[in-house]
Amino acid sequence: MSYAIETFSLTKNYGNGRGCHDVTLRIPAGEAFGFLGPNGAGKSTIVKMLVGLTTPTDGKALLFGQPAGSVEARRRIGYLPELFRYPGWLSGEEALQFHAKLCGMKGTSVKSRIDHLLDEVGIGHRGRDRIKGYSKGMQQRLGLACALLSDPDIVFLDEPASALDPVGRHEVRELLQRLRKEGKTIFLNSHLLEDVEQLCDHVALLNNGRILADGRVSDVLRASSARWHFRVGGMTPDMLDYLREILIAPVHLLPWQEGETPAWGEHWLEVELEEDEQVGYFNRLLIEQGITLYETQKVKSSLDEWFLQAVSGLEHRGENR
Amino acid sequence: MIAVWMLTWKELIRKKVTLITLLLTVLFWIAFYFIASSAGRGAGDTDYALSSFYSLVDRFRGSAILLWVGFFFGSFATGFLAIFSSVAAVSGEAEHGVLQSVFARPIPRTRWYMGRWFGFVTFCLTYALILFVSIIAIVYQATGVHPDWTKMGQAILLFISPVLLLVTLTMLASCWLAPLGNGVAMVMLFGMGWLGTMLDRVIEAGMFASDEADKTSHTMEIVSGLIRLLIPTDALQQRMLSEMFMVKELGDEFSSRDTLGYFSIVNPPSNAFLYYTAVYFLIFFVAGLYAIRRKDF
Repeated sequence: MSYAIETFSLTKNYGNGRGCHDVTLRIPAGEAFGFLGPNGAGKSTIVKMLVGLTTPTDGKALLFGQPAGSVEARRRIGYLPELFRYPGWLSGEEALQFHAKLCGMKGTSVKSRIDHLLDEVGIGHRGRDRIKGYSKGMQQRLGLACALLSDPDIVFLDEPASALDPVGRHEVRELLQRLRKEGKTIFLNSHLLEDVEQLCDHVALLNNGRILADGRVSDVLRASSARWHFRVGGMTPDMLDYLREILIAPVHLLPWQEGETPAWGEHWLEVELEEDEQVGYFNRLLIEQGITLYETQKVKSSLDEWFLQAVSGLEHRGENR
Repeated sequence: MIAVWMLTWKELIRKKVTLITLLLTVLFWIAFYFIASSAGRGAGDTDYALSSFYSLVDRFRGSAILLWVGFFFGSFATGFLAIFSSVAAVSGEAEHGVLQSVFARPIPRTRWYMGRWFGFVTFCLTYALILFVSIIAIVYQATGVHPDWTKMGQAILLFISPVLLLVTLTMLASCWLAPLGNGVAMVMLFGMGWLGTMLDRVIEAGMFASDEADKTSHTMEIVSGLIRLLIPTDALQQRMLSEMFMVKELGDEFSSRDTLGYFSIVNPPSNAFLYYTAVYFLIFFVAGLYAIRRKDF
């Protein structure tokens, strides 16, 4: 298997406890990789080392076998930084032309490539306007166009949709899906876990500069215990204690939503079950106790929950520290 | 590198640096022309001027004063233009997040740095050249006297060389200092160069008459020398004026102290100092290339 990105004990020590330590990753070519972590975890530091903006204190990183930061490696990447701005006195089109020159792109195809990208990210003819008149969302769209300009093999996206409205987010998600289908490797650094869940094959969770967990998205979601909701009637507090005792699993009564008018003794139960087979057993227990079972639902587990579970109880250097 | 160079020019034009500089320069030209015309009127009769050796010397002195005034402004204008155009070259752009996407591109950082350097330097040199020629032309128009043409090439090189130094130093400092801090530091350093020359003038004027005068002058000489070594820009200006007014060749016939008073040309630096300046420039230019390669963004 060929790897697009490999890091070996990658470490950046800023001398103030920040940075990252001993990060080892392997991302196969053509996969979408989601990089998660609380604020200040060190995600952007790793991205910066991979794109050559920052020199590692220790360890090394390779992009398609080339040392990260080398001109050869940078030839194959596109990068959308987290905090960036293009010069306001340039037009969007001129900014892309300048970056095309930096990439060594020449000829008439450059103009058509720029026009195509401006359309694709939703800027269109406003590409001729000065950037100083762009909204934050438009600047982010331009940044995305810039990252894709050289048709790179790896695209590093650091919070690509943070300034976008829901429509913009949807468009960016679709664009990234298309890139993934084209076989591009995507390194997505984002707090929008829903986007990561829909797009990425792999995820890694970073906390305090160290990898806390990583794996395939499907495995990560499967590994976390599934939650089930049961709408029941005729429930008493004694029965709840009995169910908890016999099931040896968390069973909770869910509060009713505002505006709902439950019948007497009717409740929603939430139960965490490790195996789907346990659902049948739980149904039988309910019926044996004379409880009426109206409805059963599996609550889809999400990366949000996995993320919260993984970092709960851990110290992390957020904005307050 | 050429793309970065061209972009730098575009930036200086679009940010209205060119427009403002030209507008203020036009104001200077108008004011300077009236001053020069007024000063030249007294000795405006060319036939009279050529009729006597002393009147010729007077006219030369008159034009020397005007040129000194013109180049005094010129050194200010080019110095500040060099500093403030390049003050945000690295840290300012990094703060704004412009460099992050640029340095992820497949070009060596040193080429970007050189592109920016050439952009700022060529822009400021073009301006310095226009200013130099215009000052000479206005004084010639007003007094009918021009400096020795054979000395002109050397004088131009000396006049523009502070631009190279200041852009180089400002860009190097901008690898660490934020634009505001860098601007303050560079202006103070540039001003320190004037202080060095001012100390020399005070020594030459013999302003200290106490018993300790020799000792004080000696201390001031050392301080002035160190300042010149630290920032050679004003020393280069002194050498330029010295070449232009042929201070060495004319000897006693042209005493700059008699002509220019406290603003006389003092201690024009030697050729060895010019070599020192060349080495100084090379060291700081290479240091800038090294710093940009090592810097984390």
